[in-house]
Amino acid sequence: MKLFRLKVILVAFLMVTSMKAQEFKTGRISVLELQEKKHPIDTSAPAAILYKKGRTFFTYDIKKGFVMNHEFTYRIKIYKKGGLSWANFEVPYYIGYENLSDEMLSFSDAVTYNLENGDVIKTKLNSEGVFKTKINDDWKMAKLSMPNVKAGSVIEFSYLLKSENLVRFPVCDFQYTIPVNYAEYKTEIPEYYIYKTILKGYVDVKSDSKVNQGSVSFANEYGQTRLMTYKQISSSYIAKDVPALKEEEFVDNIRNYQCSLHNELERTRFPEQPVKDYSVTWEGVAKTIFENKNFGNQLAEINYLVNDVKLLLKSEDSKDERLKKIFKFVQEKMNWNQEYGYYADKGVVKAYEERTGNAAEINFILISMLRLAGVEANPVLISTINHGIPVFPGRTVFNYVVAMVDIDGKLILLDATHKYTTQNILPLNALNWTGRLIKADGTSQEVNLLPSVPSVVNCNVMAKIDASGKITGDLRSRKTNYEAYSYREKFAQTNTDNYVERIENSYNGVEISNYEVKNKNEDLLEPVDESFTFQSVNHTEIIGKEFFINPMLFFTMNKNPFLQENRKMPVYFGYPTQKKYMINLEIPEGFEVESIPNGINLSAGDGALTFKCFLVKNDNRIQIAVQTEFKKTMVSAEDYSMLKDFYQKIVDKEKEKIVLKKI
Amino acid sequence: MQIFKIKVLIVFSLLMSQLQAQKKEYLFSQIPDSLKENADAVVRLNQIDINIVSQRSMNIKSQRVITVFNEKGLSAIDAFENYDKKISIKNIEARILDVFGNEIKKIKRKDFKDVSAISGSTLFSDARYIYLDYTPTQYPFTVVFDSEIESSNTAFIPSWYPFKNYFVGTELSVLTVNVSGNLGFKKKEINFNGFNIEKNTDTSTQLKYTAKFILAQKQEPYCAPTMVFPRLLMSLDSFNLEGKDGNAKSWKEFGKWYYDEILDGTVQLTPETEAKIKNLVGTETDVIKKAKIVYDYVQKKSRYVSVQVGIGGWKPMLAADVDRLGYGDCKALTNYTRALLELVGVPSYNTILYGDSYKRNIQSDFVSIQGNHMILAIPYKNDYVWLECTSQDDPFGYQGKFTDDRTVLIIKPTGGEIVHTKIYEDKGNLQKSKGTYLLDEKGSLSGNISIVSEGSQYSNKARLEHVHPDEKEAHYKEYWSNINNLKLGKIVFTNDKDKVTFLEDVSINAANYANISGNKLLFSINVYNQQGNAIKRIRNRKYPFEIQRGYLDTDEINIVLPKGYEIEFLPDNFDLKTKFGEYKTEIVKTEDGSLIYKRFLLVNKGVYTNMEYDEYRLFIEQISRNDNAKIILTKT
Repeated sequence: MKLFRLKVILVAFLMVTSMKAQEFKTGRISVLELQEKKHPIDTSAPAAILYKKGRTFFTYDIKKGFVMNHEFTYRIKIYKKGGLSWANFEVPYYIGYENLSDEMLSFSDAVTYNLENGDVIKTKLNSEGVFKTKINDDWKMAKLSMPNVKAGSVIEFSYLLKSENLVRFPVCDFQYTIPVNYAEYKTEIPEYYIYKTILKGYVDVKSDSKVNQGSVSFANEYGQTRLMTYKQISSSYIAKDVPALKEEEFVDNIRNYQCSLHNELERTRFPEQPVKDYSVTWEGVAKTIFENKNFGNQLAEINYLVNDVKLLLKSEDSKDERLKKIFKFVQEKMNWNQEYGYYADKGVVKAYEERTGNAAEINFILISMLRLAGVEANPVLISTINHGIPVFPGRTVFNYVVAMVDIDGKLILLDATHKYTTQNILPLNALNWTGRLIKADGTSQEVNLLPSVPSVVNCNVMAKIDASGKITGDLRSRKTNYEAYSYREKFAQTNTDNYVERIENSYNGVEISNYEVKNKNEDLLEPVDESFTFQSVNHTEIIGKEFFINPMLFFTMNKNPFLQENRKMPVYFGYPTQKKYMINLEIPEGFEVESIPNGINLSAGDGALTFKCFLVKNDNRIQIAVQTEFKKTMVSAEDYSMLKDFYQKIVDKEKEKIVLKKI
Repeated sequence: MQIFKIKVLIVFSLLMSQLQAQKKEYLFSQIPDSLKENADAVVRLNQIDINIVSQRSMNIKSQRVITVFNEKGLSAIDAFENYDKKISIKNIEARILDVFGNEIKKIKRKDFKDVSAISGSTLFSDARYIYLDYTPTQYPFTVVFDSEIESSNTAFIPSWYPFKNYFVGTELSVLTVNVSGNLGFKKKEINFNGFNIEKNTDTSTQLKYTAKFILAQKQEPYCAPTMVFPRLLMSLDSFNLEGKDGNAKSWKEFGKWYYDEILDGTVQLTPETEAKIKNLVGTETDVIKKAKIVYDYVQKKSRYVSVQVGIGGWKPMLAADVDRLGYGDCKALTNYTRALLELVGVPSYNTILYGDSYKRNIQSDFVSIQGNHMILAIPYKNDYVWLECTSQDDPFGYQGKFTDDRTVLIIKPTGGEIVHTKIYEDKGNLQKSKGTYLLDEKGSLSGNISIVSEGSQYSNKARLEHVHPDEKEAHYKEYWSNINNLKLGKIVFTNDKDKVTFLEDVSINAANYANISGNKLLFSINVYNQQGNAIKRIRNRKYPFEIQRGYLDTDEINIVLPKGYEIEFLPDNFDLKTKFGEYKTEIVKTEDGSLIYKRFLLVNKGVYTNMEYDEYRLFIEQISRNDNAKIILTKT
């Protein structure tokens, strides 16, 4: 799986050739920059970041200790009117700490440059262009709106973010939706702090580190200025000519592919103090999380559940039955408040009493009940798809937790936050690569989250064409696993009339009667079975004396879903699928088959994608068997044209007609 | 005996709480079955009591009781209140009842969420709101939501909606209004017919309406809620807006007040700017030419940024600030343009309206604060030229689909006036396509086409000029989604802003366009303009429907057929005339063996009854079917 080119930069050991930083001086705007009409490489770009310069450094305060400072300067060129939105800039900052002061943010040196009659005209931003808004209890947003900006302008501004939270740096992006000509980020970190640095994305970022002398001056408790010196690790990261990041369809999370730099605290080592481990290995991360009182202790708390478990189970219940009963009980009793997280918030006891909770609380309750019932169950830490892929250890890469059960070696993933999930069916947002299973003793191991069993759609149609071209028939279909789950998520609460109206319209105007569905929301372990009777006058094209019919009727794929010519990011499917259609068509009396499409057997990507289509004529019947199978959940960008071609062949085949002729 | 005493106390208090718990309200079982039909929730009670204490003070108490049946019904709870400097929330709380009407939770003000109301392109606003963030533990459940707000903005009495949501039944909805003193309270009923709404009291100081038993409504396409849902507009002759008293019985008075109190003193500009703009205009004397120069200057200089401070978003930023900063919202940019035009002797008027691609009128027979957008009107030859000042691209005087054909209020120094903006005639919303395509023996297609768009169709296309090439490609692949394997060649645009026409020259090719069945080639003759949108079938449509803008498409396409094939089947010419429009296609064989395909489609704007909907659906279906008519060629 070479989907991600991620690099770890082990700061302390990297001593690469020193790169000469390009000379950019704040406030020195050249006439050339102002005259430039379009971006030299990406001529369609509405704007470009000419340079971005960032620096993170530490200061010291006798009361607060070390404080982090993140300083950023941007110079942005606006080429077109469409780029004017870049004259507004916003930075969120955190004010929700329990024990730390609010973060502080200030803008400075904000100037717009324009060329008027050959002269460089400067317009400075004053306080009226800066707005700060409280978004909620945890976050504030600082916004900047640059003055006097038009197509051709160059704007420049800086901001400083001060934070006492040393655990992680704000993410430093090297890639945006507009091109970046030059981006440079420097960090100066006192030897007491060791950070793990992660670089994401496809862009070439040059890095360099060295150890040198650092110092901070601070006022001691008597107000005297003191100087503290220490060794510091100075690193720089430089990227040039970074192309614009463009949205594409069928992408799991664009942030996985955007070039960005992440820093998370790994250890602290203060003089005469033991080294404190924050996050080194996945094991270490899991241990730290496990030891937090909002995790381990919450799982240890079980008394509140004992009675309910007793009431629920019979002593003769097998482990499978216990699992079924308990999962159903928790899924029905508990209600997810839409909050993610792997720590309990109000605590499991209160959550249980109130019947609502975040992901941790609900799944902890599930785990504790299962454990009480003698079923081995453990939490699995997850980073959801929205949150991005966790590849390097760190507590902040996780944001969700589910449960895993081991019944005699059979492993089953469970999530009780959603109403239609079931055994080994998690919400789609949780199907992100791997998770981390934490056992009762605090040890941990990696768990694959991607489904390996295909989700199946199985469809049987018995249909008949009459002499006027009208098609009538019966359909039976079965959906399993994620296909059943997706159906339930979308339609379990839709009433039958509305649902039928919906498929009538999406099947190009068939008329449906006798619609029936089994296991819509009763037994979630069972497939969804649907059946109905249909009639349609829209699926036979009458041209002259001939009938032209798509063999797949209303299941015909008319368009290739992959339209774009080139692809940068992998194509995401979510889960493996297998779709089978068996269609039996009876032709009207007085007609004969003039031609039927030839069969086809396609395979691509070493058998990961297959398409089979067979048609057989038998007296007055035509049998059509079509099967599409996708064994992968993702296709890499390099294989995109193969995928597009594959789909095109399917479309071409499915659009070939059966031709009937009046005798 | 201490212990005993305590026990007694406990028993007693248990009894008490049990007694209290006996109080059951809003039982699920009390909802009539017919109200549950098609409903995700039922509003048991929506009681709004408006008390207008004085010109500068208004108190609104609301109680909303909603029984929610499932997740989709959650949006009907609507438990929130807005606040800012002029609106304070006196009380806000909620109780949750279970299916049997027992209280299961009480939510106090501090447990509501308090957030900023800023969204989208708004840079700053001091507006905030408090909302109920409740995770249901069971369905159905009932929310009893109580709130009380106080506002000095008596200019904005919230409209009363007897019901608001689709798929929600309404048991009882009550409005009472009390007005102290003679403030000139007035009201206007809209779409009340056909609903069970009773007027109980109606004096100059008191008003009461009761709406009962309104069944859950299903959403139907081509019909906006504002077109059919009942609502009551309310307003005062003597009102207060963000600290400023006003008095207006007529639009003339309202406009005069707005001009004098809100717009006055906002248009001063620096002598430098004055000199600059005068210099730009030079010796030009023609009103329109002068205005064009100024409009072009504003378009190049400014950008749209919404800053909602000061008079509830009603007072524009000073023109001098817009001049300095180069940005503003619709009011700021309109007012700034007016200020510049004034400097060069061109009078113009700020115009208040509803800006939306769905046309919505200012209710001209009801004097009150209305609208959500502002544009500029320049009087010219007994009519007006309209300027959209927030756009950097719109041609001078073009109204596109955001402000066209609607009733608006223009603010003149002498007072307000109701007028109607430009109507784009159906036939003027033109798309004229002329092109060719050639099919080879393998069924592959290559061709090119010029498409000219005018009227409201111009605005659909002109945006293409500025989009990213990927988006441009996506547009054509969507527009020609009928062309399998489409590859785009050269694309050239000509945007004539003086004539307001947009020309696209596009060349395309597509491998395997035609289906091959045996020795036959089968393909749709209409390659470039297929009626794509099927109209949804609606059983028992209840409401009328509206085609808001008509249009005319004409196509003339020359088709070169592959050598070695002869025509086995050619679709017949087609001619269809209905009240919804006209459709005609024609295929002409030329001497050199090629074909000419002609297509004419005129769709008429209009409001049609629910009974006519199926007819309309059939009209579009016939077009769609004929657009897909196929030619068959056989190998010779």
